[in-house]
Amino acid sequence: MKILVVTEQREGQWNRASFETLAAAQQAARDTGASISAAVVGKGVGALAKELAAHKVAEVFSIEHDLLEKYTPDGYTLALKQVISTEKPDFVFFPHTYQVRDFAPKLAASLGRGMIADCVGLRHENGKLIFVRQMFQGKTAADVVFQGDAPWFASFQAGAFRGDQVEMGGTSSPRTVAVDLKPDQIRTKPLELFREAKQAVDLTQAPIIVAIGRGIKEPTNIPLAEKLAQAIGGEIAASRPICDEGWLPMERQIGSSGQTVAPKLYMAIGISGAIQHVVGMKGSRTIVAINKDANAPIFEVADYGIVGDLFEIVPALTEELAKSK
Amino acid sequence: MPVAPQRETLEADVLIVGGGPAGLACALHLAALIKKHNESGAKPELSTENIYLLEKGREIGANQLSGAVMDPRGLAELVPDFEKSAPLDTPVTDDAAWFFTSKGAWKFPITPPPLRNHGNYVISLSKLSKWLGGLVEKTGVNLFTGFAGSSLILEGDRVCGVITDDKGLDKNSKAKSNYTPGYELRAKVTVLAEGPRGSLTKQLVSHAKLDGLNPQVYSIGVKELWEVPDGRIKPGFVAHTMGWPVPASMYGGGWLYGMQGNRVSVGLVIGLEYADPLFDPHEAFQKYKTHPFIRRVLEGGKLVRYGAKTIPAGGWYSMPRPYVDGALIIGDSGSFLDAQKLKGIHMAIKSGMMAAETILDALAKGNASAKALSAFKDRVDASWAKKQLWSVRNFHQGFAHGLVPGLFHAAFQQISGGRGLVDPMRAHAGHEAYAHLDGRKPPAERFKGDGKLTFDRLTDVYHSGTRHDDDEPCHLLVSDTNICVGRCTQEFGNPCQYFCPAAVYEMVEERGERKLKINAANCVHCKTCDIADPYQIITWVPPEGGGGPNYEGM
Amino acid sequence: MNIVVCVKQVPAKDAPLAIPEGAAWIRETDIGFELNEPDGYALEEGLRLKEKHGGEVVALSLGPERSKQAIKEALAKGAERGVHVSDDKFYELDPLGSAQCLAAAIKREKCDLVLTGLQSDDHGFGQTGVLLAELLGLPHATIIMQIDAADGRLKLKRELEAGWFQWVELPMPAVLSIQSGINKPRYATLKGIMAAKKKEITTLTRADLGVAPSPTQRIERIYIPKKTKKTEMLTGSAKEAAAKLVEKLKHEARVL
Repeated sequence: MKILVVTEQREGQWNRASFETLAAAQQAARDTGASISAAVVGKGVGALAKELAAHKVAEVFSIEHDLLEKYTPDGYTLALKQVISTEKPDFVFFPHTYQVRDFAPKLAASLGRGMIADCVGLRHENGKLIFVRQMFQGKTAADVVFQGDAPWFASFQAGAFRGDQVEMGGTSSPRTVAVDLKPDQIRTKPLELFREAKQAVDLTQAPIIVAIGRGIKEPTNIPLAEKLAQAIGGEIAASRPICDEGWLPMERQIGSSGQTVAPKLYMAIGISGAIQHVVGMKGSRTIVAINKDANAPIFEVADYGIVGDLFEIVPALTEELAKSK
Repeated sequence: MPVAPQRETLEADVLIVGGGPAGLACALHLAALIKKHNESGAKPELSTENIYLLEKGREIGANQLSGAVMDPRGLAELVPDFEKSAPLDTPVTDDAAWFFTSKGAWKFPITPPPLRNHGNYVISLSKLSKWLGGLVEKTGVNLFTGFAGSSLILEGDRVCGVITDDKGLDKNSKAKSNYTPGYELRAKVTVLAEGPRGSLTKQLVSHAKLDGLNPQVYSIGVKELWEVPDGRIKPGFVAHTMGWPVPASMYGGGWLYGMQGNRVSVGLVIGLEYADPLFDPHEAFQKYKTHPFIRRVLEGGKLVRYGAKTIPAGGWYSMPRPYVDGALIIGDSGSFLDAQKLKGIHMAIKSGMMAAETILDALAKGNASAKALSAFKDRVDASWAKKQLWSVRNFHQGFAHGLVPGLFHAAFQQISGGRGLVDPMRAHAGHEAYAHLDGRKPPAERFKGDGKLTFDRLTDVYHSGTRHDDDEPCHLLVSDTNICVGRCTQEFGNPCQYFCPAAVYEMVEERGERKLKINAANCVHCKTCDIADPYQIITWVPPEGGGGPNYEGM
Repeated sequence: MNIVVCVKQVPAKDAPLAIPEGAAWIRETDIGFELNEPDGYALEEGLRLKEKHGGEVVALSLGPERSKQAIKEALAKGAERGVHVSDDKFYELDPLGSAQCLAAAIKREKCDLVLTGLQSDDHGFGQTGVLLAELLGLPHATIIMQIDAADGRLKLKRELEAGWFQWVELPMPAVLSIQSGINKPRYATLKGIMAAKKKEITTLTRADLGVAPSPTQRIERIYIPKKTKKTEMLTGSAKEAAAKLVEKLKHEARVL
């Protein structure tokens, strides 16, 4: 059995989620004895392919073409379709990125196949691979299996697997795979990429969130938490009362009437843990709670808890993080 | 508030405000009467399409809550084949009254007649309303959910219709990008069917001086719906309890009903005329569940839903005059509730039907004046509704000084067709009953619950499914918060923090200053605050339509 | 501009979910339903484009009878017509199967634009728009923030990760999936609701459409994930606890 991992790069920079997908593939390979091929798509991506080859995979190749230099759904779909018909993988794994959402289902459908997208886990049971994904906005999990013939397509949610747990020690030499693309096959005209001063924050995409509750007492204390967020590389968020008061904008609200998030790290600072808030964050992978009330319900969902004065603990944390950088 | 927004107008024959059993019965019966009227060739020809019904909840039934054990009498008149078609959960099979002490339960050897329920049905009022709504829709009546009647259109003493809620205003009442001003909905006849302490009803009664002999008095009902393990309770099991945890100085009692699918309706009713301003009905209900009789049924089960609503308990003598030029008041808004049996659904339905008959005549004759609509009162007076209400006309007033005097008076009333020792027995508005704190300290900590059998208010509120837009005007208008932080703190300890079953009101310290914090988003639309605030400075108005609790199954 | 907007009726956000043991779908009794929130943004975008360029908006939904409610809401907000692909077992369809049903219905319309929301709040597959594009043979773009249409071509702003955006151009007809939150959906007005009663909703079945999808995947079961959580309380002075926490986060939880 062969698993093809399609990595993602843009302008020579990796989307790091690609390595999480490698980790997923390696887990599946351990369970099923499959071999792993890893691919880079673009133009002039040889260096990236070499980097990929240092990881424990059976083979690495670059899929190169002028028309793949800039991402388009048509370009990527047609190119990968060709590669899949020659390489004949059983599974095709992707990181679940904005870009993958844009073309991978199309690729699968163009081959008459289906895609199980945004998986949070993978199990091997009774000789079958079971893909786990969330439904009902993270309130439930679903075990999904493929039906019909290979190739089978799947994408993995950011943070579901650990990019730093990928086995190294790869010895393959990357090769280049040529594909045939014509300009008139590419219907999208991609124009300039640009950054905007972040107008709208999407907390659902933040890997780390530092959330504050009524324990923060005054809006003038919020910078304390913002410093921590900066030091830890996270986004600031809040429980409803903070947003109701207007101390933070509504879009920063986590809970039953705000956003539902599941980052890899959620820090609940001065949040009591009322159910209205907890339903919005209990899916987070690691939860840290800091509260002066040892009986606050937040500690029931926390992995790590500190009972104490947040006005002492938060600055101490910020300092500790700065030290350890 | 945008100055004089441009409002669209719509003209209707009949506008019914409220999609509960009263409003829906009115609409359904009127549709049937219109059909007969047209078929008989009578002129003018009328159309059900000119009947509008407004319901503030996101769907019919969303804001409907009751115990409930329904007397089928009203429904039998409205929908004769109701036994086959209505979503009745189960007939009452087992009926008993109990007296609780803190640990014991003593069953009344003979169930007092008012508490006998054979022939009645345990139902979910929300489901019943939803079903009635479906029937109404089929008739061509325009049912609008997610729309509230915000204010009356009054021209002198004539009610000409209502202004519906403005949508898309932010918390500062400024227009958001999707701001849509409410409509000016004009109608020949407006029917106020808003339930207990209707906001438009309150406005009209005050404006046109419609008060009955007594002011209206209310009770609060706090309810939970549970799913329990097999074998704990039989469907149709009905228990009403008196005594613990309701102090003898207060009116109140609890209930436990077994429903299909291992569901249990459990709750506590408290008269909102108690002296202790720090009394917490929600906490009393949580305590109630710990009584062995109740705990034995609920333990290990799962809380499905929570809610609270007030009950108009004043009966006949608190009934406002139910007609003015262009309007009728029906259902709970019109005090159509038997306070002895605590049954109002059949009354609501009957009042709705009688209103429909009155309205058909008014439309046929082209006359919706107060005089023409006063025929509603005549119909009421000649009906079983009056008979039933008249026989218990002094019931709730007897309990103004507690359980023992109440039972005493009730006994005399029972043997004298309702007259009792004093007739009419006067009532005082419940908010006047508070005794001053006199140095008593409020509790340091609020009830937390164990999270399994008992719950704090926030957890319960979560299970009411209540939601309001994050960014909308506060719908709880407090006319003078200086009273809150000054006089009220001194005299009564800010009872809003205790009587609200949804943790809406909080006194907080901000920068050393005491302040009233209103968590309007938690509101379950029970109206307790509008009723029970000692200074009557809180006015509940409908929030943007579609908000409020989601009382599925309640 | 003739626009088809795909709308789905999903369980209300606050509906308590009851899952029968081992089932692949929730128990649908006693819960409320509402228009899928992401579709609300797509619908609003469609209505605005119609108002700007003329034409009509058709609301298309796949699902059981109750799906007509979502269509009616779209009609009340200004869509001209509705199409309901009636399917009681819609929840058994995989993303490709659902898209095949919808595509077959869309093929019967002459449209310039097909709009979808990013994903549904129940299944959350997030693939429908892209699959429709493939099945209809149309160009597409996803996570669209802004649409400028002129002379049969579209200029679109798409959102990328980490605060990046990109402009792309596409010819019409095309399929777009609309980013959530890019507009404030309008309210249905009383007049709109009444007018909706007179608007046409066509009901179709898989048989009418000649669609017989073969499943590519199957949901074996859904369940509430059980968390076996043991909270580790970190003690000591603020400095000590902070140091312990950073250590744990780095080496035990490995999130830093």
